[in-house]
Amino acid sequence: MSMMGRFLHQTIGLMTAVGIGLLALPGSAPAQEQDCAVPASFYDTEPTLPKTAAAIANRQPVSIVAVGGASTLGRAAGSPDLAWPARLAAALTSRFPAARVTVDNRAVARQTAQEMAARLDREVIPLKPTLVIWETGTTDAVQGTDLDEFRQAVQAGIDRLRASEVEVVLMDAQFSRQTHAVINFERYESVLREVTDANAVPLFRRHDIMRHWAERGVFDLITVDRDKLPLVASRLYDCIGRAVADFITRGAHPETGAPGASSGSHP
Amino acid sequence: MSTSGGSSGSERDLRLDFFRGIALFSIFIDHLAWNSLLAQFTLQALGFSDAAEVFIGISGYTAGMVYGRAIERQGLLMAAMRMYHRVWQLYVAHVFLFMQFMATTAYLVDTFNNAIYAEELRAADFLKEPGVAVIKALTLQFQPAFMDILPLYIVLLALLPLVLIGFRLWPAGVLAASFSLWAAAQLNKSIALPAYPGPDHVWFFNPFCWQALFFLGAWCGWRGVRGGIPWLTNRWLVWLAAASALAGLLIRSSWTLHWLYDPFPALFGDALWPLLSKTNLAALRFANVLVLALLVARLIPAQAAFLAGRVARPCIMCGRHSLHVFCLGILLATIGRLVIDEFFGGVLLQCVVSAAGIAIMIGTAALMDWFNAGQRPSGPQVLRASATDGRV
Repeated sequence: MSMMGRFLHQTIGLMTAVGIGLLALPGSAPAQEQDCAVPASFYDTEPTLPKTAAAIANRQPVSIVAVGGASTLGRAAGSPDLAWPARLAAALTSRFPAARVTVDNRAVARQTAQEMAARLDREVIPLKPTLVIWETGTTDAVQGTDLDEFRQAVQAGIDRLRASEVEVVLMDAQFSRQTHAVINFERYESVLREVTDANAVPLFRRHDIMRHWAERGVFDLITVDRDKLPLVASRLYDCIGRAVADFITRGAHPETGAPGASSGSHP
Repeated sequence: MSTSGGSSGSERDLRLDFFRGIALFSIFIDHLAWNSLLAQFTLQALGFSDAAEVFIGISGYTAGMVYGRAIERQGLLMAAMRMYHRVWQLYVAHVFLFMQFMATTAYLVDTFNNAIYAEELRAADFLKEPGVAVIKALTLQFQPAFMDILPLYIVLLALLPLVLIGFRLWPAGVLAASFSLWAAAQLNKSIALPAYPGPDHVWFFNPFCWQALFFLGAWCGWRGVRGGIPWLTNRWLVWLAAASALAGLLIRSSWTLHWLYDPFPALFGDALWPLLSKTNLAALRFANVLVLALLVARLIPAQAAFLAGRVARPCIMCGRHSLHVFCLGILLATIGRLVIDEFFGGVLLQCVVSAAGIAIMIGTAALMDWFNAGQRPSGPQVLRASATDGRV
């Protein structure tokens, strides 16, 4: 099967490469260490987070809670210290040394949006956070939750957080290569986009950003070598953490450098 | 789907094949890349409904027409046998699609084990218990990826003999019951069929809702054999349909424009979504497909010249072999997704893969036409006769 698989894999690759005549074979681009800048266009059209940004800039205490699944928990990297919420805290602290920022990681692997929304009241709102970053949709896509239920769960979560005057950011599923043939991520992506759009909630487009990196060979998301996985994952989570830091501090006035590690090509 | 036996070429309404062909192309493109630019311009661009409604609606109409006629000519028993023979073919096709799904999964085994997102994918229960997945697929409860529409079709067609008997005895009663079931399922979300993996998982296409479209289509087809439905040609009804189709088109277009260019407002986006559930064939989707069907039936005559032309021919060929072309489309969408994923495909690659897939679908349908013609004892004559009679 494996040989057959590899043969098919190569045949599909070769056929397409010949057919298009433009594309390099996968894996030929060398991974460029730490070159994980995100173009400003990924953040352009999103609403901003005035309260959080102002609190960071004014050196008031900022409590951020991350709610999510396995990728927020940092399972692939091996430790919560290497997960993106911890990296977000590190990025914010280094960028705003005077700010008093804490990031609480309240992720639980393999939960649907509904299960996560049900946890908000118990585990998240009592912490009185300034901002909740809610990563969701993956488990729903994998398990095939009813789309309307998914939408209602996300909406209920947003309503609950807003009622408690907590600012909220949603984060979509990771970009995953080769899985679209068997799992329908796109339907859930669309719902997240629609719900955040309708509620003027910022959506951190992790999927598109990771895809952008994968396209440029920054990360090889499917490492054949199992031993290298944690290393790649921790690098990825570090980049995600820094990108989230850029994303949530748009509009804040930092003491060091501009928010958005991007090339400022925006007119 | 195919109308073998009982109906000669001249009785075939080419509009059905044509629009079913369009629906098959749309389904393929939608499956290939749900959020792609190209998918914004498939049948879903016309309003709130999409290719699934068109496919199920036309399939219901065709089934009602063909098997309604078969009951009259061959008797109930023979007609029922033909329906269950068709159900068997659909079931075999479903099992075939499941095999290709499992093969794709096996091909991707490295991804499922070694990728950064492997942990998240492990929530997919079928990876833990493939044996159970096989059983659940055979009982139509496991409907991963694109395996959701055939189970619906199988269940609906299996019920059709009873419904057709009902149409002979008390059509109004059957239609009222069918519509009431749809309405009840809109209000009570627990009216659904359980799916694997449970416990909260239900069929993507809720048969208690979608039956209303299929059987309404079947009734129209069944009535069509008996002199049509006179009040459908009422001028006011047609104007009303045109107005609501236009409203649907405008609203839907504003969503596409919003998707392309964020500052453009998505009209009524928040207000309408509760009426747009695909799983439950929500009111706007249902109404929209009926309105479109009415307008097409009214504005495009069965003998329209373009149906005999070169442009329509590939669609008609694919529509005629809809089950085969549908399965082929699923297979091609799966392969196409692997190709697009492999190369992070942008719009250009999506267009190339879509065009290649549609070309293969048309080529296969043409090959089947040619093969079927050759299979008939007096092939060439029959073909020529139907080409002159049936296609104007």
